[in-house]
Amino acid sequence: MPSDPFWSNIFRRRDKEEADIFDMLKKVPIFQDLGRREFNKIESILHRRNWNADEGIINEGDPGVGMYIIVAGEVRITQVGEDGVQQQLATLTGGDFFGEQALLDESPRTASAYANETCRIIGFFRPDLLELIESNPRLGLKIVMRLSQMISVRLRHTNRLLKEARMRVKQVGEENKRAGLGRRETEGEEAGAISS
Amino acid sequence: MNQQIKIIIGLLVAVGILWVIYQIRGVLAPFGLAFVLAYVLAPVVDRMEGRGLERTWSILLVFVMAFTGLGFAAFKVGGKLTGEMVELSDGFMRREKIDKSFVIKNNGESPLVVENIAWEDVSKTQPFALLNIKDLPFEIESGGQTEVQIRFAPQSHQASENVLSVVYGQNESAHIYRLKVYGNRRNDAIDVGHRGESTGEMGALPVVFSHSGIGFGSAGPNIVTKVSTKASEFQPLFQDFLGSDFNLPALVKEHGERLTETMLGGTTVFLGGLVSGLTFVVIVPFVAFFYLKEGRRLTRTLIELVPNAHFELCLNLLHQINGQIGGYIRGQILATSVVSILAIGGLTLIEVEHALPLGLLAGLANMIPFLGPLIGFFAASITALATGGEFGVVGEIVVVFLIIQMIDNVVIQPTVVAKSVEMHPLVILFVVMVGSQLMGIVGMLIAVPLTGILKVSSQTVYEGVRGYRLE
Repeated sequence: MPSDPFWSNIFRRRDKEEADIFDMLKKVPIFQDLGRREFNKIESILHRRNWNADEGIINEGDPGVGMYIIVAGEVRITQVGEDGVQQQLATLTGGDFFGEQALLDESPRTASAYANETCRIIGFFRPDLLELIESNPRLGLKIVMRLSQMISVRLRHTNRLLKEARMRVKQVGEENKRAGLGRRETEGEEAGAISS
Repeated sequence: MNQQIKIIIGLLVAVGILWVIYQIRGVLAPFGLAFVLAYVLAPVVDRMEGRGLERTWSILLVFVMAFTGLGFAAFKVGGKLTGEMVELSDGFMRREKIDKSFVIKNNGESPLVVENIAWEDVSKTQPFALLNIKDLPFEIESGGQTEVQIRFAPQSHQASENVLSVVYGQNESAHIYRLKVYGNRRNDAIDVGHRGESTGEMGALPVVFSHSGIGFGSAGPNIVTKVSTKASEFQPLFQDFLGSDFNLPALVKEHGERLTETMLGGTTVFLGGLVSGLTFVVIVPFVAFFYLKEGRRLTRTLIELVPNAHFELCLNLLHQINGQIGGYIRGQILATSVVSILAIGGLTLIEVEHALPLGLLAGLANMIPFLGPLIGFFAASITALATGGEFGVVGEIVVVFLIIQMIDNVVIQPTVVAKSVEMHPLVILFVVMVGSQLMGIVGMLIAVPLTGILKVSSQTVYEGVRGYRLE
């Protein structure tokens, strides 16, 4: 019954939503190489969930299991600072993603994420990725390759920051020496950056 | 809610679920079997899917290959195996005596005199005996009846038959009614004899006999009795230092019969339910197909039900448990197959009868640490002795099982069985006894792997939860 307004409405809305999600996932770097058919394969291992306002999505310190891609809503990323107070690092919205490092290892989460409002979020998790690599190595490799490229870009960025910081420390030290204070500064290390 | 109340409610729910599972265990059997089958075939299906084949086609292809193989195996050895298993279990469970009876009824007006009831073949070893007829002649009053009980207790499994002649009537008009009895004839295990009433000769007197012949089915000394007879040879040996009160044959017989009853009795009921109908051929592959096809979606749906706070934890645990159980099941099946093949080969080599079922039992029993090898050894020894083997054969069986144990411990166990599944001997003893209590020998065999699966799962849960800060 294609002319039935009730049914056609539901299907049209669903189709549109699916198309939106595909467009959104296509913008996520780790999925950008994938074709439509490959997306359909990925789709079966993605988890769609809803979070209510102020509900925690990930907690700093918990073992990381995977990454999250925000479909709709706003998420705040926070970290406990050296003084023990929660500091907000970033606010993410639709199309943004976080926690992708957990796809590679189970190290503890470096920050927490909370929903600012009702959020629709897609989760993509390490166990599913590992299974995908087993069952479809070609597709798995495409994703892992993109993931490592992303991490490597970030590492390069961090290295550059570190280098700048070292030079700055050296400069400050020399300035101090020149000022006759003779006090040596210990090397400072840039804290790991949280995803953009 | 209070933490302790939560724990108590959780425990109650767990107990409730276990109780329900126990109640419907008969129905669960094909699902459990399909579960195991799915775990065994999953890696092959995954690999084929990785090669680019659609999952449905991969499953179908793997199924066709697996069932062709199984069918071929069933065709080649299945018939022989079933035959030998039936023979062997019959050897243990065989009834030693069977009592049946027939009725003589007097429909006449006047009393009927039964002059004599006697066997035509009166040789000493004949297996038939009258139980309740002592005083002859006796009288059956008008309208009355008498039941004649006959016992069949043969010393061997040879077919035997006899004729019981009943002489009745007055002296001058005596009649003879001849009742044929037989037992241990081929294919008459369920033959209960000729039913229907039959009147006396020529209908001269209104006498009705309830049977015209009685078939007793099969009976004879079972393996326990044979072993007990063998044991009587050793009686003088023990008598010297244990006293004359110690009766080895009687002990062997009593405990052997009880053991056989507990172990095989439950099994027959359980297997009966399992094999009945189309279970094996239809339901198991059907369910396994859907486990393989929809397994991923099934876990995803399950995870969707978990609240956000514990969702990552559950997702991770589910995957880990899945991997652990898969590894455990595949490992056990591999170990069982290797040990079975070794045992069948070894027993065939030293010419033990029924090597096929005995080797298979040894392989399956090997899943039970410590006790398993002993079960295999005793089953083989007892059967060898009961089927006419000399005591020397037990020595050979010891050697065969020692070699298999060495191979198992040095080569198989370290490679296939994870260290995490190691269980305390007391735990093993306990679960094996519970299993045998609930489901006989099948229960004993599945108790350890089932506990293994539970242990692996709970260990994974415990270790997984430690990393999280649960509120």
